[in-house]
Amino acid sequence: MKSKDINYNQDYKYGFTTDIENIKAPKGLSEETIKFISKIKKEPKWMLDWRLKAYNRLKVSKEPNWQKPKFPKIDYQDLYYYSAPKSMQDKPKSLDEVDPKLIETYNKLGIPLNEQKKLSGVAVDAVFDSVSVATTFKDELTKKGIIFCPISEAIQKHPDLVRKYLGSVIPINDHYFATLNSAVFTDGSFVYVPPNTKCPMELSTYFRINASETGQFERTLIIADKGSYVSYLEGCTAPMRDENQLHAANVELVALDDAEIKYSTVQNWYPGDKEGVGGIYNFVTKRGACRGKNSKISWTQVETGSAITWKYPSCILQGDNSVGEFYSIAITNNHQKADTGTKMIHLGKNTKSKIISKGISAGKADNTYRGLVDIGRKAINSRNFTQCDSLLMGNTCGAHTVPYIKNKNSSSTIEHEATTSKINEDQLFYCNQRGLSQEEAVSLIVNGFCKEVLQQLPMEFAVEAQKLVGISLEGSVG
Amino acid sequence: MLNFKIDSSEIDKVGNFNKQEKDFRLKNLENFNKNGFPNKRNEDWKFSDLREIVSKNFKKLNFHSTNNTEQKIDLIKEFEHNFIVLTNGELTSSNFSYEDKDKIKIQKYSNYPLSEKTELNPLISLNHAMANKGFILEVEENYKFNKILVIYSLYTDKLNENIINCKNKIKIGKNSELHTLEYLINNSKANFFNNIYENIVLDDSAKFKNICIQKNKSSGYFHKYSNNKLGTNSNYSSFVFPAGLKFNKLDLEFDLTGKNSECKLLAASYLSQKDHQEIKTRINHFASDCKSFQKVKNVLDSESKGVFQGKIFVKDIAQKTDAYQLSKAILLNDSSEFNSKPELEIYADNVKCSHGSSSGSIDKNSVFYLMSRGLSKKESVNLLIDGFLSEITNEIKNQKIKTFIINRLRIQLDGHKKH
Repeated sequence: MKSKDINYNQDYKYGFTTDIENIKAPKGLSEETIKFISKIKKEPKWMLDWRLKAYNRLKVSKEPNWQKPKFPKIDYQDLYYYSAPKSMQDKPKSLDEVDPKLIETYNKLGIPLNEQKKLSGVAVDAVFDSVSVATTFKDELTKKGIIFCPISEAIQKHPDLVRKYLGSVIPINDHYFATLNSAVFTDGSFVYVPPNTKCPMELSTYFRINASETGQFERTLIIADKGSYVSYLEGCTAPMRDENQLHAANVELVALDDAEIKYSTVQNWYPGDKEGVGGIYNFVTKRGACRGKNSKISWTQVETGSAITWKYPSCILQGDNSVGEFYSIAITNNHQKADTGTKMIHLGKNTKSKIISKGISAGKADNTYRGLVDIGRKAINSRNFTQCDSLLMGNTCGAHTVPYIKNKNSSSTIEHEATTSKINEDQLFYCNQRGLSQEEAVSLIVNGFCKEVLQQLPMEFAVEAQKLVGISLEGSVG
Repeated sequence: MLNFKIDSSEIDKVGNFNKQEKDFRLKNLENFNKNGFPNKRNEDWKFSDLREIVSKNFKKLNFHSTNNTEQKIDLIKEFEHNFIVLTNGELTSSNFSYEDKDKIKIQKYSNYPLSEKTELNPLISLNHAMANKGFILEVEENYKFNKILVIYSLYTDKLNENIINCKNKIKIGKNSELHTLEYLINNSKANFFNNIYENIVLDDSAKFKNICIQKNKSSGYFHKYSNNKLGTNSNYSSFVFPAGLKFNKLDLEFDLTGKNSECKLLAASYLSQKDHQEIKTRINHFASDCKSFQKVKNVLDSESKGVFQGKIFVKDIAQKTDAYQLSKAILLNDSSEFNSKPELEIYADNVKCSHGSSSGSIDKNSVFYLMSRGLSKKESVNLLIDGFLSEITNEIKNQKIKTFIINRLRIQLDGHKKH
């Protein structure tokens, strides 16, 4: 029998706003805005120069238009590029000094910063609009030599590392949104794991957009030095608003010899209402470089939110024997549009990559897998396997697969397969017969469809993600 | 560097046209002049930068307008057939001795329906603007061909730096059946460019089978756009064995507009020596209960480049679609390259659509096995290639035609090995 406490018809439960006094940069995109951000972050001159270089580049570049989902023109002058709670102006020294309103916001989101300190083994960096609110477990990590801090702090305290790696994977002239991010990025996480160190706990960042008319531009940089290992999680939510908000993040990963980075995302930005009004434009650039031999980068993503998602977490497999992995679930419902996938660029010898992508489309949504597998001439004995499965619910939605496959070398093998289908009616019937409601049954079947990807997620996220899969499809069948 | 702009006076040189047609041609020429030969910025030409290829290999392009006199050709002796001969794209003779002539209409290209659409592919615009050759074949209702129709496509040696634009149309009436073999004979040693626009219409319950193969290697640059419309219960199978052209792009579009229609595309190629070949397909499922099947196999040797871009489009009303697409490639040499882009665009939920694409080296264990049985390495590899491509040739049901095709493929393979 259907248990009463499972409510699949709940709305977006993270849609509340926190009423808090903000400090904002002057509206619009200009040199002044960039100087304002740089000043408020107390950045050194090289950082400001870097931002301005990006800004100059931005002036001559154009928005990309090859993606399938089209969107109304964004007025970049009508946005705030920096917004931070006033109480964060003088950085609190410990969690106890943080504005209780903020702590409460995170409690409501299920990220109890205080409790987290004592209970679970996850270190959290919480980013609220343009500023990092708190980072937990800092001391314990410091003992091991691991640096986990907001990137603005890293720019001040570890300039050598930041200068060396920032922009080395995503150059400032990469494409429009990456360049925009380079010019105006506000906060994000910085992780450095020293050689031969296994990070003892999951590192996690929780992003929250709160202020209206604001874009969030976070920048994350993770460096795993030789022989190290780190697992990083990322979660995001935003309030319900009938305006579209822009989120353009850049994430750079660098894995040196024998290092491994595992990067997991559960993206649950506000997707807009049933009529497709509002929601976040999630235009994100994520790229990892396997610089060293035997290095490994693994991306796992569960994309359920956002009005439009453009996101292609990629791996550049430079080091010999390096491995790239991409596991993805993209769920779109109502008027959501997702265009997501990965790029696996094989440059080193014996490099391997694996892509598992599951797309689920319901309502009037469009879901596209777009990916590139490129095996270069020198990448001998390389291997790729790609599997893209799509599930359609109803005939008002679409599921698309656009893979680009390039092979320039006779000792490498590329395999790609894709299928599109609907939920098997026999399975539905069987579940119904056992007493599950239509929606529970769909949730169960879809969870099974996604299993291969869900099991890649760390425990703490897997449970939440499973629930999310069910909720996102609410009302799509029957 | 080649000047891509074509003066509008060239249109008058290829023929006299009435005002309406002249305007249509001028409009298309303008579109071509605006875009030029497509380059890799154009999504459909991502893997085949034609602008670069043309400017590297051609100094200028003349439009072929001289009349072609018929030349003697060696007819295929292996099986009885009807035939038509196209000399440099122009219809020069036809012979339907095995058929009822009242049921068949064949004529030279003349007024062609003018489409209002602005073409995205500049080469189609170029064809619309400059076409002056080709044929129209119509088969009446309820008529089944007794023998295969061979279309001899002859390219003479007078084609230096010429560009040929031709339009061909085949229309098959209700319940009729036609089987054709396109046979390309290349006598030209010089560079030339051939730009074909083809239109095939299958009425309800019509059946059409086409095989396309080349006799010999050629220094021609080929582009063919083929638009195929399938009516209710119709059936279309196409076998293509393209190889040995310096550049070849087949752009095949199938519109499944009638219920229960079925289309099948099978291709096998052996590419070598700087051959550049692209097969691009787009199967549009516009009606329910249709089936489509595509299988493309490529073997790539020294410095060759193969491309497959396939797209299956399923409209929201096209429920119960069954679509399948498979592309397989073997790379024999590190200087060869294979790119593919198998696409699905699906808006209906009760469908079965899948695609697969793989590329890799020849299986070393299989080579080892054959060598351990006493075959040389070369023999082993050749045997495995034979086996790989035979999956396509095995689909040809007529034994005589099948043997003919297999022999031609073997010549392609051996011919290369001698170099």
